Amino acid sequence: MARTLSTAAAINEALRIAMHSDPDVILLGEDVAGGGTRDQEGTDEIGGIIGVTRGLVKEFPGRVLDTPISEMGLLGTAVGAALTGLRPVAELMFIDFIGVCLDPLLNQAAKLRYMFGGKARVPLTVRTLTGAGMQAAAQHSQSLYWIPAGIPGLKTVIPSNAADAKGLLLASIRDDSPVVFCEPKRILFDQAEVPEHDYEIPLGKAAVVRQGSDVSLVAFGATVKTALMAAEQLAAEGVSAEVLDLRSLQPLDEEAILATLEKTGKLVVVDEATPRCGIASDVAALCVDRGFDFLNAPVKKVTAPHTPVPFSGVLEQAYMPSPERVLAAVREMS
Amino acid sequence: MPTPIAMPKLGMTMSEGAVLEWPIAVGARVEKGQTVVVIESEKAQFEVEATTSGFLRHVYVAPDPDSQVACGTVLGAITESLDEPFDAESFRRANDRQERKEAIPAQKSLSAVVASAPRLHVGRVPVAPAARALGKKLGVDPERVPGSGPGGRVTKEDVEAWAVKRERLVQVAPGIALEVPTEGDGDPVILLPGFGTDVSAFAAPARALAKRYRVRAVNPRGVGLSDAPEQERYDVAELAADAAALIDAPTHVVGASLGAAIAIELALTQVEKVRTLTLITPFVEADARLLAVLDAWCRVAAEASADTSAATLLPWLFSTGFLIDEAARRRAARGLASIVRRIPAAVLRRYFEGVRTWSSTRRSDLERIQVPTLVLVAAADLLAPGGESVAQAIPGATCAVMTGAGHALALEAPEAVTDAILAHLR
Repeated sequence: MARTLSTAAAINEALRIAMHSDPDVILLGEDVAGGGTRDQEGTDEIGGIIGVTRGLVKEFPGRVLDTPISEMGLLGTAVGAALTGLRPVAELMFIDFIGVCLDPLLNQAAKLRYMFGGKARVPLTVRTLTGAGMQAAAQHSQSLYWIPAGIPGLKTVIPSNAADAKGLLLASIRDDSPVVFCEPKRILFDQAEVPEHDYEIPLGKAAVVRQGSDVSLVAFGATVKTALMAAEQLAAEGVSAEVLDLRSLQPLDEEAILATLEKTGKLVVVDEATPRCGIASDVAALCVDRGFDFLNAPVKKVTAPHTPVPFSGVLEQAYMPSPERVLAAVREMS
Repeated sequence: MPTPIAMPKLGMTMSEGAVLEWPIAVGARVEKGQTVVVIESEKAQFEVEATTSGFLRHVYVAPDPDSQVACGTVLGAITESLDEPFDAESFRRANDRQERKEAIPAQKSLSAVVASAPRLHVGRVPVAPAARALGKKLGVDPERVPGSGPGGRVTKEDVEAWAVKRERLVQVAPGIALEVPTEGDGDPVILLPGFGTDVSAFAAPARALAKRYRVRAVNPRGVGLSDAPEQERYDVAELAADAAALIDAPTHVVGASLGAAIAIELALTQVEKVRTLTLITPFVEADARLLAVLDAWCRVAAEASADTSAATLLPWLFSTGFLIDEAARRRAARGLASIVRRIPAAVLRRYFEGVRTWSSTRRSDLERIQVPTLVLVAAADLLAPGGESVAQAIPGATCAVMTGAGHALALEAPEAVTDAILAHLR
């Protein structure tokens, strides 16, 4: 039987492979080595808040760096390191903190290669936790991937499972552009078969994760699970749903979205983020713009409401897109 | 007031824990801040403090290091005094906030927000963009296609089905093909529906007649799948010529209302093609009321929804006795609405002009009709009350008056109409 890993372990493995294959790859972030609980020899490391980088500090001494609790300093350091030729992987503990360190990302990392006419490059990867579902409250549960996705010069990637997480992270680290690699909290402990070898999944390529002919469910990150559950229930009702996992939000695989829309004529986009100015709206706009003649029903968006993420577990569950809400959207259009 | 003690959620990844110990006995005094229960999660023990002072009134979960309970589960209850009323089970039900592993069913309010449907401009047929694109490719006007989507939206599949059906149309004149559903074997019968209706108005008699005859129901120009040539009006003579093109042997001709006018025209101009004539609520002189109602029909169809059009027409087409039956009224309204939805207002206007120019030209010709004729008259017909005078003008015609029925006789009394036609054809 093939080997299974959690998404967190698959990310750990991708980091290990990247560090083995390229001595320029370094990790830095708050507690990525072990922080305050690490002893002098570095043997009691915790490896970040979820333990994703656990064990790497011992294996790669001097290349896994704990930083002070200053996202501005951490990202500034990482951009500088990337400019000097390293290939840093910075951990921004929660994407909720992107506001603190937006300048190094928005005005430095994203612009330098362009402004120096290609003579400078910023091969930086920023790993960051996204999404609700763990009762981490309004300041640690947001799905702000639409911020980096909307900044020209940055790439934004979001896996939905362990195998993709490994391949996408390796591709992100080896990409010469700055990449924001989102790690949805809700999938971190999901197990999946993960190949042991070194492999990359190309950025900007979506994947059809379930074939169908009646309606397309476009999802990414944790909502792929939601869409697959909805597709399963739809199948029981005789409706064949295709599920497209975007995998990258920027570059966005427009052709894959249009291809599934052409096939089914009906599209629901499932996005855990708030509804304004987001990926769901982008996908819907693409369908109306370039896919107009394919539309056999209105495009439906299933998103969170336009509110902060509630702490209450009951409200948080109601806040996130559920299979039931996907089903309701599909029923409305058929 | 009782206060719950629940399994705490101590970290993002904690979903359950075990109760290790209740340091105080049930019924004992407890002070705010005092350890009330010790729990274990992820190999760490944690002392849960009382959030209020009172008495440990009830313990729901006994200590058991091997039994994991979900975060949010009510473990115990503290009450202010020992004698205040306390129902352990209902308190647990009201306060249990167990963390759920999978998504809970959608909240009604959220779905309702998502479900707020847009309102369409009245009278406009909703057409999916994909249906429009396919219609362009296949040369089909999607607005004429009956829609199967929500709110009658025309879908791509509807246009496809329409295009397939159109291949079976019968050519009656250059560039004009009609939809002629045909059923049964035997001597030929042709059914001609009235103004603004289609073959569905004859559904009941057609089924019965098909057991003995070859029944052809005709959707005239612009109705159903039939072509709708752009003309100022559809003359009754032209419509009769369309029907004549379908007839190759002497045929029993049955027409209702405007269909009866076409049948009369056939009997006068294509004598050899008509074997018998059945005229249901016929007219040869459209009076002011009939013209006013048909004019209103065209306008309402252009400007209101199909349901509103049907509701407006219903009292003119059906008798009081029929309308009093709520279920029958609703059924008729639905049926009428589905017919109205499929016939464009522009087509109705062409028929209206045809009726206006034809009527009052044929009364003196009725005496030339030679074939056996049955006239079915509805006693409560508001639109064509002159049916009996038509019967009197046709030599040898039989007149049957249906008491208490309205103009839409074949819809209001389908069995009586069917029996009368069967008796007449035999």
